Amino acid sequence: MNKRILIWILSYGILTVFPFLIPLFITGPYVTHILILTVMNIILASSLRLINLSGQLSLAHGGMMTIGAYTSTLLVVKLGLSSWVALLLAGLLAAVIAGLVGFPFVRLKGIYFAIVTIFLTAMVTLMAQQWRSLTSGSYGIYNIPRPDPIVIPGILNITFTSSVNCYYLVLVIMLVSLIMLYAIEHSRIGLTFRGIQQSDSLAESVGVNTAGLKVLAFSIGCFFAGITGGFYSQYIMAIAPDTFGFLFTVYILIYMTVGGSGKFIGPILGAFILTILPEVMRPLKQFQPFFFAGVLMLVIFLMPEGIVGLPGRLKTIAGRLFKEQQERA
Amino acid sequence: MDISTLLQSILNGFSSAGIYILVALGLTLVLSIMNIVQLAHGEIYMIGAYGVYYITTSLGLNFFLALVISTLLMGGLGIVLERLCFRPLRGQFDRAAIASIGLILILQNVVLSIAGGDPRSYMSPFTGVLKILGVAISWDRLSIVLFGFGLVAALFLFIRMTKTGQAMLAISQDRDGAALQGINIDRISMAAMFLGCALAAIAGALVGAIFSVSPTMGGFALMKGIAVIILGGLGSIPGAVVGGLIIGLIDGIMPILTTTHIAGLIGFGAIIIILLFRPQGISGHE
Amino acid sequence: MLKIEGLTKHFGGLAAVSDLDVSIGPGETVGLIGPNGAGKTTVFNLVTGFLRPTKGRVVFEGKDITTKKPHYLAGKGIVRTFQATNIFPDFTVLKNIVFAHYLRPRISFWETVCHTQSSRRKEAEILQRSHKILELVGLEPVAGTTAGTLAHGYKRLLGIAIALAAEPKLLLLDEPFSGMNAEEVGTTMQLIDRLEQRGLTILLIEHNMRAAMNLCQRIVVLNFGKKIAEGSPEDIRENKEVIQAYLGAGEVIA
Repeated sequence: MNKRILIWILSYGILTVFPFLIPLFITGPYVTHILILTVMNIILASSLRLINLSGQLSLAHGGMMTIGAYTSTLLVVKLGLSSWVALLLAGLLAAVIAGLVGFPFVRLKGIYFAIVTIFLTAMVTLMAQQWRSLTSGSYGIYNIPRPDPIVIPGILNITFTSSVNCYYLVLVIMLVSLIMLYAIEHSRIGLTFRGIQQSDSLAESVGVNTAGLKVLAFSIGCFFAGITGGFYSQYIMAIAPDTFGFLFTVYILIYMTVGGSGKFIGPILGAFILTILPEVMRPLKQFQPFFFAGVLMLVIFLMPEGIVGLPGRLKTIAGRLFKEQQERA
Repeated sequence: MDISTLLQSILNGFSSAGIYILVALGLTLVLSIMNIVQLAHGEIYMIGAYGVYYITTSLGLNFFLALVISTLLMGGLGIVLERLCFRPLRGQFDRAAIASIGLILILQNVVLSIAGGDPRSYMSPFTGVLKILGVAISWDRLSIVLFGFGLVAALFLFIRMTKTGQAMLAISQDRDGAALQGINIDRISMAAMFLGCALAAIAGALVGAIFSVSPTMGGFALMKGIAVIILGGLGSIPGAVVGGLIIGLIDGIMPILTTTHIAGLIGFGAIIIILLFRPQGISGHE
Repeated sequence: MLKIEGLTKHFGGLAAVSDLDVSIGPGETVGLIGPNGAGKTTVFNLVTGFLRPTKGRVVFEGKDITTKKPHYLAGKGIVRTFQATNIFPDFTVLKNIVFAHYLRPRISFWETVCHTQSSRRKEAEILQRSHKILELVGLEPVAGTTAGTLAHGYKRLLGIAIALAAEPKLLLLDEPFSGMNAEEVGTTMQLIDRLEQRGLTILLIEHNMRAAMNLCQRIVVLNFGKKIAEGSPEDIRENKEVIQAYLGAGEVIA
């Protein structure tokens, strides 16, 4: 028993530490950029899965990232707030807006919910383009400052002028987010979400305020999208209305679906593989949309549980083969 | 504001409405018959426009012939998609919708790699203006109004008068009941996809004649189509017409009354309010 | 305890339920019977808040609950079962029951996420109670089985167990015997008997007249959304209009 716990701690320890070590071996601005994108995509796909856990398919993540990015940017640029406070407020505003629009939205069941969230993303983009006095329209906002340095006099002075430090920052955000998402999923609230996913009328009949909890799941998921959007604008130092459009949102959905939305690790794997793979195989880069669409179709038609369902599927196939051989013998 | 500006914007509203209705009718037809949200509908609209572009410029055929050919081709593409993509996923709403998102990526990028990203344009056959009561109305706008409402009327007749149309109505109201009555759901689904895609292609071709065609033009059409069917009631054909008129007129008239960004948001606000008070839309039922 | 006054529900132009009056006293078991399409399940949906009535009132323990949401009513003690989707198929049997303890005891958001001492105590309490309910309905041997893989009769029983876990004062059972074999019907009838003895108030929809006659003290007969008869099982058995309704619908009274 103790041995198992030790192995558990060791494997998760290595998994946690390993990403922090990557920049020691592989360097270069481009690699760092890809690493940052990978980590961001993991947060996004995992938080999308939390919404999915309550039986809802959301395509609002792009819109929520845009809200987060503009909120953090405007708070820093126009009001001179600390970038950290701005980042938190970016997440909170996304969550609040998700909560407000969520109430009318969750009255729509199933795929109709997805439709209105697509619409929401489109509206946020439109608003960012049109509200010129605030957002400077389609041109976007440039020269956004990087996150404020973390200074403890005499002990610590971390600046974020280098991309590598931004990578460390987003890695920490990812770890905190994943721990929060994991805790929520494995709590009673998570259980309630999964019950709603299976049958919302039955859940309602035993006293679950299904509408409220669906909004809660949507709102929590969007909080992480807002934070990630805010972080990205601070890292890239720019934001435009169409940075996180429909296509961006669709990619997050693809990471989650391909990885497999049934398990916690699914979206993490999906985001990791699908962000890294096109980079490793250079020729793929050019055909990225085809590649993504192809993988997506493959999963939809042949692997309904995604990559995480693959071992189980192989096991059953192997088991069947083994049985056949035994029977033959 | 003078009266001619107002009339002009009302006409613009009607011509937008014509397009929105054509797009939304296809969406709502596929939704109510196949129970699938076909998110690649905007791509069909876009390819329909490219079809007319290539047929008129490369083959040198006239616009109307090109329109008919392109429409039939898109209808055929609809049938192929139904067979290969949507039939295996029948009854699985989420996965079918995600698959249609995959189709968006594929279709959009196929066109992008063939035609490039630059907008293209072709001549509208409807030129000149019609003067009524001192108001100049351009024929190309008017043609959309006529096409749009003509096709709506044709679709209504089709559903009322033909066996296929009646079967569509039966399936949309009661799927299992219709299957029990011996209605062939496979055949009707193909018919719905054919019609839906053909209508989208016509809309795309008409828009392309006035403005231009580009690989990303489908997104706008999809958004408007979705707005219309939410407003009108998901799966309702009269709802799509009413919703299209409302959103088209808002888009046409609001810009002269207020600034554009408020006009865009009014549409959104209207949808939220509709969802709050009538989740089933204007003419949907519970 | 429950009073339904002038309850009416229209779907489009059609009246699924019209001008229905029913009242149920505490501890009573009342049957709601009628041919297919008589509007029985609609009445359930109206009482439990899944549908809003076109007209009329529903009063529970002296309070008007007509426009309240289902989850609120579950909190007040009105819990129903469903004909079709009556379990959480991906959970184990035990987890189904644990889930149904959503309201009692209530564990708050922060308690659960932070996994506090009090939440752990409450979780333990819920687990204990869940096992007790499984014993009561006879599902304890399959507690660890994934609910979706259960035999049909067990699924129906689990549906009732889920409702019991929500601690109802008024339990509404929607055709609890449908699709059960004779033995399962027997077990379920015993279970309902035991619930009655514990003083639970029950409103029961049943298609099977014999089962309803055996269990209920009073029976309300619906046809085309209207109440056509009400009385003791004996009265109902002799009632001409009831026999006509059932014969007219091509069904035989057992």
